[in-house]
Amino acid sequence: MTRQPFADLARQFNITISGKGSQPMLFAHGYGCDQNMWRFVSPHFEATHKTVLFDYIGAGKSDVSAYDPTTYSSLDAYADDVIAICDHLNLSNVIFVGHSVSSMIGVLAANKRSDLFSKLVLVGPSPRYINDEGYIGGFDRGSIDDLLEALDSNYLGWSTSMAPVIMGNPERPELGKELSNSFCQTDPEIAKNFARATFLSDNRDDLTKLKVPALVMQCSQDVIAPLEVGTYVAEQIPNSTLKILEATGHCPNLSAPEETVRTIQEFLKT
Amino acid sequence: MSEPDIGNDQHSPELTIALELYDNAPCGSISFFKDGTIYAINQTMLTWLGYTREELVEQRTLPSLFRIGGQIFFETHFFPLIKMQGFVNEVYFDVVRKDNSIFHALINAREIPSKSRQKELFQATILDISDRWKYEKELLHAKRKAEADSKAKAEFLSTISHEIRTPLNTILGIGHLLHETPLNENQKEYARLLLHSSENLLSLVNNLLDLSKIEAQKVTLEQMPFHLGELLELMHETFSVRARAKGIQLDISIAKNVPKHLTGDPVKLNQILTNLIGNAIKFTKTGTVQLAVTVEQKKAETYQIHFSVSDTGIGIPPEKLEAIFQEFSQASYDVSVEFGGTGLGLTICQKLLELHQSKMEVKSTLGKGSTFSFSIWYTAADTPSPTKKAKKERRNLLILKDMDVLVVDDNPDNIFIATQYLDQWEVPYATAESGKKALDMVRKRSFDLILLDLQMPKMDGYETARKLRSLPLKTQPVIVAFSASAAGEVADLLEAAGIDDHLSKPFKPKDFMDTLLEHSSHRKKISADNVNLKPSVAASEGQKKKKTKAASEDTPNTVSFKIDRYAKMANNRPEYIKKFVLSTLDAFATYKQDFQNSVKTKDPEGFSNLIHKSTMSFYYIEADRLGSLLMACRDALQDDTADDGTFKKLAAECQAEFDTIIRGLTHIGET
Repeated sequence: MTRQPFADLARQFNITISGKGSQPMLFAHGYGCDQNMWRFVSPHFEATHKTVLFDYIGAGKSDVSAYDPTTYSSLDAYADDVIAICDHLNLSNVIFVGHSVSSMIGVLAANKRSDLFSKLVLVGPSPRYINDEGYIGGFDRGSIDDLLEALDSNYLGWSTSMAPVIMGNPERPELGKELSNSFCQTDPEIAKNFARATFLSDNRDDLTKLKVPALVMQCSQDVIAPLEVGTYVAEQIPNSTLKILEATGHCPNLSAPEETVRTIQEFLKT
Repeated sequence: MSEPDIGNDQHSPELTIALELYDNAPCGSISFFKDGTIYAINQTMLTWLGYTREELVEQRTLPSLFRIGGQIFFETHFFPLIKMQGFVNEVYFDVVRKDNSIFHALINAREIPSKSRQKELFQATILDISDRWKYEKELLHAKRKAEADSKAKAEFLSTISHEIRTPLNTILGIGHLLHETPLNENQKEYARLLLHSSENLLSLVNNLLDLSKIEAQKVTLEQMPFHLGELLELMHETFSVRARAKGIQLDISIAKNVPKHLTGDPVKLNQILTNLIGNAIKFTKTGTVQLAVTVEQKKAETYQIHFSVSDTGIGIPPEKLEAIFQEFSQASYDVSVEFGGTGLGLTICQKLLELHQSKMEVKSTLGKGSTFSFSIWYTAADTPSPTKKAKKERRNLLILKDMDVLVVDDNPDNIFIATQYLDQWEVPYATAESGKKALDMVRKRSFDLILLDLQMPKMDGYETARKLRSLPLKTQPVIVAFSASAAGEVADLLEAAGIDDHLSKPFKPKDFMDTLLEHSSHRKKISADNVNLKPSVAASEGQKKKKTKAASEDTPNTVSFKIDRYAKMANNRPEYIKKFVLSTLDAFATYKQDFQNSVKTKDPEGFSNLIHKSTMSFYYIEADRLGSLLMACRDALQDDTADDGTFKKLAAECQAEFDTIIRGLTHIGET
């Protein structure tokens, strides 16, 4: 790897560490948002674990200046970053919890450095989003182009409204004003590049190589990662448990945090 | 849960009205569960979509009405946002109608708060923004096109300006050469106009090039240590001649607490100050131009340095204060007629300051004068910048005769101009029309200095230099690149290719000579003492000098001066020689006056100015001894360790030399 080491890694990845336990749980957000995706889930593990949250370079409050489109054109670079974070914080025996594309980033990281990880929790994983011969990924190539176009148009539509607006949110006072509309704000070019890296990836071969035990959490209705994909992932990973959630959609960590927490806790007991 | 029944008579009138409004509102409304399933939809939305209520309610999800990209976006961005902050406003989606056509929508969505309900419920308001979408798309298109056009324009300007500089080089060079040949009064005036106009044209082209580079965002700030005092001293040297010629005083003052060594971009600072001082002198007829440098504030090791240039010139009317920073704008048409200029200078200054996150302030009173000021943050440099004092070594044209120069350029015009000067200065030289030929010649003969054009076909200057550097030569020559690019732009490339210095085309004879002198003085350091011992006539390779009898025989002291050069320029025609001599005599009267004043005030700067001013006259009559003596005088004044006696002795010698020359010239003038 020829990349420059991170000068101030903890700040650059906006790392947040909490929890009373000693075994680290590393929560990795997926494509679309940042570590806030775990806000209803990670606190439940603070009593028993050391929770580590971060934003990928280019997302959330990370150091955008460290973003390089060429480097981050494949998931490999993100996996290297996960390893760099573990090394920097001297983490070992790590429980990696990855949502969406981060599931595969976790698999790649664990294949590179199996010594770091004890368990992987994969929430809505997909090794390949585009259909292939004998494989159902859920999308055809045109859909991904459509997404990239949608991203373009959305940033057009958001040009005024997505600027961080200070807006009262009386129904959810716990969120605080500063958070309003600042979630998921990503530089349009970075968002598109991440979308490309995510949706054009094919990591099916990496699944069979995984030596770390993994939990595959599959929602009952998920446009992004349909049931067939979850089944496929569980079949390919040698030591895996498949759990189909009652929750629907792609973000059970947000739409069904209780079920998500319960399922992870059960897996960790095994 | 079921759809509210609008026609139900049991509703209160208010609720009936509210429900009617809901159903027929000018916007669509869809309520949905957290899995996206549609729970309720209003009539407006049904009409837009072309579906019946039964086809959608409990049957379809909200994202299933979007195109696939929108569905992914909904899952990965939109829904997480609603869950995290309770609402999302104005997100754009393409909505698919029953007939598969699409309309453009902005969607606001929120979670409907409820403690009693089992299922979480969300409500989305859909606005049809097809019109706005069309306008925005056109606007975006127009914006992108305008940006692309502007970039293309800037690049075009940059290319063209660059191209223009090459023939301008020839025009200016020939102009200078023409100016130095014997001409009658009319012709002299024509040549002067030609030179003047081409210099104006060059400054216009340079400004355009700068501006287009800034606009194409090709200009970045450098961070290097520099000596502010020296930068300003050099500026004073450059402008004091012009100021004095107009009878204006030029003052530069630096506050004591301004750090000597700073880190920043000295080239940009120089450009800004040159522009402001140049303008101030240009627009001032009498009085003073003053540059004051102070510390505005200090944070740790960074200083905000304040620069202010004031003049007592014509001033700017209040309503024009904004306009002067616009491209091609001066305060009035008359201004440009009377004072000339392109009106680009201040625009460039302003843009250079923007790069520094700074801004030009201007205060002006019509008829009384103007003050332009700005502040820039610099870091105090830990390591002193390399001082340029070394460059100010004693220079003497004689040492050029010991140099062997190779001129490499594929353009015969350029070779012609360069070699014309070399002939004049009696510098031995050879020429090569390609890099390959140059390499062959260097293998056979050793050169002290190679003047190398950078843009040549086949083997360019960089490659030639690299190959030259790899040759097993006893001593490597000094390589001076020679190109239409500014040195700063190509500095890295030059260094990588092993090129020592850079001479920008078109060059003025003085720049050319300074470059030669600088590198010759690296080879040989000549002290004032042995200058006299050098033979004043050294034969140069390509040229046998014809001795003019009139000059050498009639002058009482052949060491002090000679008029061979005049004789040559005048093709030995006595009436022209006489003219030259008489005008030189006039000049020497002034020089002598300046000299005496400087001796009285013991002002080294006075000597510097005099040396600067007299260079060409001294050169023509080969008054090398006097030149060296003047420099020695100045150096004695600058040298704190030298005693007063040395200076007095030198001054006396100068005085005697002046008298000898003036007597000699007068004598020739009278014959």
